[in-house]
Amino acid sequence: MRTVEVFFVIIILLGAFAITTQFAVLPSPSQAFGTNLRELSQSTLETLDAQGTLSQTVFTNDTDAWADLQKALSASLPPNIVYNLNVYNLSTNQDDVVTYHLEHSISDANLGADSDASSLLVTSPDVTFNQDPQKIGGTEHPITLYILNCSDANGWWITGYTGQSLAADIYDLLSPYFTTTVLINDTDDLELLLENSTSLEGTIQNAVVVNPFGEAVPIPANYTQTGPQHDEGYYLVDDGSHHEYYDTYSKYCYTLGAKTQQYNWTWVSIVGYPLYYVSNTETFTESSDHNGYGIHGMIQVGPPGLNAFLHGLDGQNYDQWQWNGYSWVYGEGSIATDIDVVQFTDNAIDKCNYYGIYPSPSPTASRALPTSIETAYHLNRSALIFKIKEQAGKDYSAAATYRHTGGAIEGGALTAIGLTRIPDVRVTALALLVYYNPTIYKTVFGASGTSVLVTLQLGQQGGT
Amino acid sequence: MAGATIDHMISLTILIAALLVAMMTYNGLFATAVDYDRNRQVANKAVDLMNTICLSPGNPTDWGETSDTLLGFGLQDPEAGGYALSPYSIMRLLPSESEILNYTKTGTLLQFSNVSMIQGGFLGVPIAECVNYTSVAELLGVNGSYGFRLNIVPTLSVSITEYMPNPLSLEVEVRGPGLALSNATLQYVLCSVYKPEDSDFPSFESRSGIEKTGPAGSKVLEFDPPLNGLEDTYSIIVYARLGGLVGVGYYSHGTIENDRIIPFIENFEQGEILLVHNWDVHEFPGSPSALHFNTTFFGLTNNFELTQFDITGETSGLINSGVSEQAYARLQINPSENGILFVSYRTGNTFGIMMLPWGVSTLGVSASFGVDPTGYDFVATELRQVSIDDISYHVKVSTWSLSG
Repeated sequence: MRTVEVFFVIIILLGAFAITTQFAVLPSPSQAFGTNLRELSQSTLETLDAQGTLSQTVFTNDTDAWADLQKALSASLPPNIVYNLNVYNLSTNQDDVVTYHLEHSISDANLGADSDASSLLVTSPDVTFNQDPQKIGGTEHPITLYILNCSDANGWWITGYTGQSLAADIYDLLSPYFTTTVLINDTDDLELLLENSTSLEGTIQNAVVVNPFGEAVPIPANYTQTGPQHDEGYYLVDDGSHHEYYDTYSKYCYTLGAKTQQYNWTWVSIVGYPLYYVSNTETFTESSDHNGYGIHGMIQVGPPGLNAFLHGLDGQNYDQWQWNGYSWVYGEGSIATDIDVVQFTDNAIDKCNYYGIYPSPSPTASRALPTSIETAYHLNRSALIFKIKEQAGKDYSAAATYRHTGGAIEGGALTAIGLTRIPDVRVTALALLVYYNPTIYKTVFGASGTSVLVTLQLGQQGGT
Repeated sequence: MAGATIDHMISLTILIAALLVAMMTYNGLFATAVDYDRNRQVANKAVDLMNTICLSPGNPTDWGETSDTLLGFGLQDPEAGGYALSPYSIMRLLPSESEILNYTKTGTLLQFSNVSMIQGGFLGVPIAECVNYTSVAELLGVNGSYGFRLNIVPTLSVSITEYMPNPLSLEVEVRGPGLALSNATLQYVLCSVYKPEDSDFPSFESRSGIEKTGPAGSKVLEFDPPLNGLEDTYSIIVYARLGGLVGVGYYSHGTIENDRIIPFIENFEQGEILLVHNWDVHEFPGSPSALHFNTTFFGLTNNFELTQFDITGETSGLINSGVSEQAYARLQINPSENGILFVSYRTGNTFGIMMLPWGVSTLGVSASFGVDPTGYDFVATELRQVSIDDISYHVKVSTWSLSG
């Protein structure tokens, strides 16, 4: 009886094995071996088009050229690789629907099931595809881009870069959108800019001024404590009481704000807390003239720098100093704060695709500005790059452009990118492009006869 | 009772036998699956290595043109992108099998690796400036886990043979891996060496032309004015083009036997070349002759034409193996120009010519890098087509697991 039961068990075992082998069809170990046909196909197309020969051939009906292409394919591929090359003409209808029409096909064998393909979009050698950005301000009111590139200044919060290297990057990114781009190569040039000198190239009125020195801003020597225009750059806080004196360059930041309003500039701070330091390596040469982190030629202004700039922009009086019991405070004190990770707005994502600029969509903002400055200084927030984030009951913006539109006087704007270091000037470029919104004029790729899609399908003969 | 016990024993024996058979069968099934998975990993690693090698320029991106320490390995041409490789980075790969040549006449021991080329061409690279297999394997993250071998060979084989010696005619044949190429455009430059009446230093004159291969993929080239292939010294370089493929071949004929000038690359970054006498790196019977030499550097244009560039240093002179002051000569070419250094030399009425490619593609030099995969059970290969300064090449990466 036991033997009969065991035979039943054996039948069940064999049955299980038969069913398992029926469904578990394992590939042969040798099938793991095999050239990646897709990449071989892609590399073949790119190689044949390295000198533009493929582009010329697919737009011609010359039978000799097609015969040469076929010979080149046969000669360049290993003997056990067969191919099928198809050429599709692209056309776009009025509804922007792209259709593909097979124009040409060459093949040397049936490919069978084990094949792979890649494609290459080829444009006609007789057609030039242009991508022309609209110049900001147009031809009637062209806006000049000034980039501070002062050789006699140091930057801060721009770890890994210098102000000069960032100036070059900003030039590459933004100069195509401006009729005139001018690099301000030293603080003497910066003084000319502040004083509306005609010796500078470009138009100072309505200009965009980008400061790539991070939390520092270059200061002309004449605006420093010992300079003839020190009253526009330097201030000694002294209310005549028993409080200790406090000397500050926030007055210079106030002047910058006032000039921004006067000339209707858009002042751009690329990273960190705007206007936190002033820098002039030729003038600030004392051993104590450093920012506390080993960067010399720089003097700290602190939070009063931004507050004074906003007062200047809004046409308010400079002197907003108060003694809080243990130190001097300007205006509201420190206003920028850390709000951790922020996210792109939907509009910013769209504009990234439109302008082809792709910074990180979720960086950390350690110097975001409160939205309360909009009412305090008559600012109109626009071109918001990151979503507003609430913290401790207050709303903060990590990157936006604030246009001064109210108050006693109007004009001027501040673009403040309150992200943490390391700086990404693509965010700056995106902020300005979102703000000015220039159009990109592109040639349509889908116009019939201008583009073709070439697909090369490869198969391996003789097993894998 | 005894019957039941026997019944139990028989049934147990049959059951154990059946289980063993089933386990052995399943074991085979699992072993196949495990083998497949291991092989798949090796094949995937081959793809990874190929992508890194062909689609990354390495770090620093221009490491092939500088003496900087290599921090990341890749051979992509940083200026061209895509499947285009840098002709300079490939020059810095220490070949897997190559002759090591020692040279001591400069006062220090210099070691060069002689990249195999056919007669008339020579590529000697300084071992100290090359990257070896171990360091590249470490940079690729496969040291100790996977072995690999990299082969970079021209897609087209352009072979040149003497068809008739006098008047000289040469047969050029163009072939790909699949078939011979008919109707291919052949663009050639032939340089023949002679001694000017007013100088001891040899000079050369060039002939160039454009032809097409016939149905068999070959063409016989004849020259006007004619050359005597038995007595004249010459080098010919042929660029073949068809349907987007470009190949290059060369052929040299000299009348000097062992007295040759060898051009070593002494410094990649500065483009410094050291010209030495063949007797100082090889041993021959007899005694060496002093050689008068002359050098010319040609860059290669986009249309595969040669254009002359300046050389600084000892561009012509005398190299005499037995005189220490004349044992070698140093010159400097523009390191950023892809081209060919022609060194023509003479002793008495016999002449020779030697070509040094600056950038592997100008003379269609092959490169082989890595270790021999012989003896490993499973070797995955990955193949791509690339261009090196517009010359078509095949790149093959063979990969195997070192973990058994």
